[in-house]
Amino acid sequence: MSSTTITRVRRPGAALQRRRTALAGWLFVSPAMLLFLVFVAGPFVFAIALAFLKWDMLTTPEFVGIQNFATLFSDPILPQVLLNTFVFAFASIVTHLVLGLLLALAVNRVASRAIGYFARVAIFFPFLISWAAVALLWKYVLDPTFGYVAQYLAGIGIEIPNFFADPAWAMPAIIFIDLWHTVGFTFIIMLAGLQTVPSELVEAARTDGATSWQIFWNVTLPLMSPTMFFATIITFIGAFQIFDPIQIITRGGPQNSTTTIIMYLYEKGFQAFDMGYAAAVALLVFLIIMGVTVLQFIGRRKWVHES
Amino acid sequence: MTLLPPATDSREDVIVRVERSRRRRRRPTVGGVIVDTVLVIFGILMLSPLVWLIVQSLTEAEFAFAAPPNWLPVPFTFDNFADVFEYMPFFQQFGNSLLLAVISTAGALFFSVLAAYAFARIDFRGSRTLLVLMLSALMVPGQLVIIPIFILMRQLGLVDTLASLWLPALINVFQIFFLSQYFKTIPRELDEAARLDGAGHLWILFRMLVPLSAPAVAALAILGFEASWNGYFGPLIFLSSPENMTLPLGLVTLQNGFGAAPAVIVFAAITMVVVPLLVVFLAFQRQIVESVASTGLKG
Repeated sequence: MSSTTITRVRRPGAALQRRRTALAGWLFVSPAMLLFLVFVAGPFVFAIALAFLKWDMLTTPEFVGIQNFATLFSDPILPQVLLNTFVFAFASIVTHLVLGLLLALAVNRVASRAIGYFARVAIFFPFLISWAAVALLWKYVLDPTFGYVAQYLAGIGIEIPNFFADPAWAMPAIIFIDLWHTVGFTFIIMLAGLQTVPSELVEAARTDGATSWQIFWNVTLPLMSPTMFFATIITFIGAFQIFDPIQIITRGGPQNSTTTIIMYLYEKGFQAFDMGYAAAVALLVFLIIMGVTVLQFIGRRKWVHES
Repeated sequence: MTLLPPATDSREDVIVRVERSRRRRRRPTVGGVIVDTVLVIFGILMLSPLVWLIVQSLTEAEFAFAAPPNWLPVPFTFDNFADVFEYMPFFQQFGNSLLLAVISTAGALFFSVLAAYAFARIDFRGSRTLLVLMLSALMVPGQLVIIPIFILMRQLGLVDTLASLWLPALINVFQIFFLSQYFKTIPRELDEAARLDGAGHLWILFRMLVPLSAPAVAALAILGFEASWNGYFGPLIFLSSPENMTLPLGLVTLQNGFGAAPAVIVFAAITMVVVPLLVVFLAFQRQIVESVASTGLKG
């Protein structure tokens, strides 16, 4: 430190000054860069290499060329797994965006402070609870004998299916639980977006005789489109990687009806210890997420209103 | 029905109209009452699983999960909570979760702040390339890199330790990007002034930029803590002994593992996780909600 002051007094040349700045820059960035190399970039390259190997982590790794990628195309379960994942992601986007926006619109116009506070807490709090707690709790809530949903519905003569044992109902049940858990996030994003809609515009439209519906459709919604776009991308990326509730509640069953791509990756890599194939599946996830995100950004020009 | 606007708008007309519409919005309308009612009912439905959870955990085991559902803990007992400790090392796992969350959050923020300063304030060759390289990693799913990291941790003999979880958490590219963007909104003239007074990089960063960025740092800290506290995938892969587990994994093991606990005890354990969280949330509601809204990061 003291040498720094001395050289500064001596007014070093511009070149020395520049080198000193560069050194400071690299010094500040080096811890993060080192961690980045060890825990992100390195593992990324290693994962690509791993996809060309056959390795169970016990015996010597064996180079198998593109065999793992070829297996991706002949895997009899993978199409079902991808379909499950896309169904979940699509249902997740639609339900979260629609319900999140409706709730934000409702809370935004509530007159009573108490009701607004209660609604915000009730809608948002589940998002903060760990998936582990949420999944265990809902396993009982939806239980056909112990759960109160079944008990109330039985009271009015409706018998609910055994959701998590029925291949037709397991995925819808997971989608529903995910909505309960995560809609608070979408809701908060939408509420923040609504607050950026200038109230003068809404007032002006109202004084000009526009109905609430017209205002929503022609003023609020276009101004909300950047927020909706952001929420769509974030929801897709999150939903495509859904894992926790599925591993905890159904473990992919019954009959693979809830096996999503990350659940499949976990089974292959950390239960069957087929590390090479798991890496190939992980690369597929990476490519799909990147591809869909790029597509969404291309589509953005069409339906997002830029002010 | 809104009156049609007159052909010519005088200033007064506009003011009168705005005043009128403002008054109309304050008066309770039929639509407003319906929206309020729907929201209250919706809120109650959202909270009902949590109320049910807490009530069952406070009810004597043989009377819990009754049909029709009980919404009051009768007969009341705390025994289920006492029994939790016979099935899982709750406080040990609570401590593990806390330690992991604190180290991950504080460590990641420290390294992110340093890197963000370099990217925002120091012009050095290669900085742009490096930032773009790091940002492209945002698209890489964590599950892709976790396989090699698992192999690495096995080589280092760190599997089944908390270090296998907090070491990879020390790098957070999103934080670096978010903070460097935030630093850029702070006028650079402040740095120049401090430098003229003899301040070095570290003083400018930690005594000036970080305090000025307190809202951003706090938001990232809240989100980082939340993600670490609630994480499941990492602990599931790295941790195996109950005394090393974090709470989420401990809860699931309590229900799935050998000698699984009865439902009321699982519920008592979940309650012991959820109720403190609710207290923290109600105390810091504004900060937590704002941190989610401002960064838009999904836990």
